Amino acid sequence: MNLQNLKVSAFLAARTIQRGNKGTLLLTIAITALVFVNLVFQPSILSGIVETFDRQSIDFNYGNLVVEPKGDESAIDNVESLTRKINRIPGVTGTSPRYETGATFTWKSKTLNRQVVSFTPSDEVTVTRIHENVIEGEFLSDGDTDQILLGILLAGETDETKDKLESLGGVRVGDTVEVTYNNGVVRTYRVKGIVETLSIGVDSVAYVTNREMASVLGIEDSASTILVRIDEQGAEDKMKRTLQRFGIQEEIKTFREKAQGFIGDAVTSFNIINVISIIVSLIITVVVIFIVVFINTVNKRKQIGILKAIGIDHRIIVNSYVMQVVFIAACGTVLGLVFIALITAYLSYSPLLFPGGPVVPKIEPALILRSIVSLFAVSIVAGYIPAWKTARENILDAIRGGT
Amino acid sequence: MITARSLVRIYRLGNVEVRALRGVSFEIGGGEFVGIMGPSGSGKSTLLHILGLLDHPTSGDLAIDGINVLQCPERRRTLFRLNKLGYVFQDYALVPELTARENVYLPSMVRGMPRDEYMAASAEILGEVGLGERMEHRQYELSGGEQQRVAIARALVNRPSILFADEPCANLDSVTSKNILELFKKLNEDLNQTIVMVSHEDWHIEYFCRVIYLKDGSIERIEECKTTRG
Repeated sequence: MNLQNLKVSAFLAARTIQRGNKGTLLLTIAITALVFVNLVFQPSILSGIVETFDRQSIDFNYGNLVVEPKGDESAIDNVESLTRKINRIPGVTGTSPRYETGATFTWKSKTLNRQVVSFTPSDEVTVTRIHENVIEGEFLSDGDTDQILLGILLAGETDETKDKLESLGGVRVGDTVEVTYNNGVVRTYRVKGIVETLSIGVDSVAYVTNREMASVLGIEDSASTILVRIDEQGAEDKMKRTLQRFGIQEEIKTFREKAQGFIGDAVTSFNIINVISIIVSLIITVVVIFIVVFINTVNKRKQIGILKAIGIDHRIIVNSYVMQVVFIAACGTVLGLVFIALITAYLSYSPLLFPGGPVVPKIEPALILRSIVSLFAVSIVAGYIPAWKTARENILDAIRGGT
Repeated sequence: MITARSLVRIYRLGNVEVRALRGVSFEIGGGEFVGIMGPSGSGKSTLLHILGLLDHPTSGDLAIDGINVLQCPERRRTLFRLNKLGYVFQDYALVPELTARENVYLPSMVRGMPRDEYMAASAEILGEVGLGERMEHRQYELSGGEQQRVAIARALVNRPSILFADEPCANLDSVTSKNILELFKKLNEDLNQTIVMVSHEDWHIEYFCRVIYLKDGSIERIEECKTTRG
């Protein structure tokens, strides 16, 4: 196929696009655009979920790394010296020892079993961002012993129908709640603040200081976990090895390892839905473009036969149809990108709310490129086959049998 | 120019063998306007298709401009049709998305002619067929006769050795048909254009300088020089 023939194909394709049936052309472009949106949107939501879950896990649940008791031990001892040691490791920007235990909360006539998490507030702010998400009241101070921070889902709403989980029924800052710890100790706390992070695991529990927890449980210099923040995001595995190299004997997990059960199942399920959706979308593209080109070529069977009769190579004719399909795919891609930009803008303003937090589609260049390549590939194949089939037909059969 | 020897064309329709041509031999010289006539089913169109390299004979020999065209591979036959032959069909077969001029210069584009040359050539040939003022019109804006003139201009733009016309007036009224035949006559006389035309209308005979009559796939008779040119 020489350049001259390609020029002729381009000329025929351009004139057909310019002067052919605009309705069919626009409809085909619109369908292609919607398919492109589907190719990009669902994987971008999945990436958004993973990103949100990662961000929420780091910012509110685990930090980057979690140090846990070694072997069968139930707690980490000598926490003070251990955190000092970890804090000296290059790349570590903060540590927060935590203790977690079950408790029963009572407010008015309502009783609920939930976890109580303790931390030293001045340490916690170096690792998580819970302190930035206090929507009512204030964050805890290191010396607080009679105050408690409640997650919004635990505090709840006066109107039960607005609750996402069973709650205490609308506790507010300044109210007093009774907490009965698992060891039987009963304490009464004034609610100092309400936390809302949009992460269910964080918003459904309560927080007290380590000092208070130590007095309740009778422990000293002990923690159930130590959360670690590092300065290089994404380098968790490397830093885990670094901590081990610096002689940290306790078990160290990255936030992904801690969360893998939940997010792993979700991602696998979404991936299956995603693959099915992509295959269906691509089949729709193949069918639509095949039908459009097939009807087009069948309607022009006689004309194609006569073009061949006057000496126009069948490849010029086939390529003119392929070029039209490429134009449709290109316009569909551009229109699809506009749709995606609009959807993303809307979802950035009003994110999708998932249990792990607010999700905004994450559009990655590799995803766009993959979608463009697959859309063009299936479109070209779907356009080429019917055009080739019709253009290969015997000239006289085409002339006699055409419309 | 055209030398046909013992052309035989046998079709198979299921188990039935149809002998469309039964050994046809003749010669057509340069500058002739030859009519192929005969009743329906006599093999006129089959013969024209073989001469125009649109079909293969079952046996026989065919040379055009001294070239044994039956031995040529398909790709070369396509180029031969583009460069040496012109076609006019019953129903014009213009590309509806192209203007009259674009339809005409399309074969020249395919030949690789420079743009300014094919623009000039298409304007000239459209002027010759009387459509100088209608060049930028599209098919739906042209009458049947005008469309057929565009098809003729398209067939002639590459200055073919031979122009084949398969019942070009079949879809036209008698006045328009006469105009088209006058145009063929003018092209034949002024440009010495060789024309081979299939027709079943007796009144067309006056335009032909020679008529090959077919009957049941064989040449019934050949009548020489029926035109007023003598």
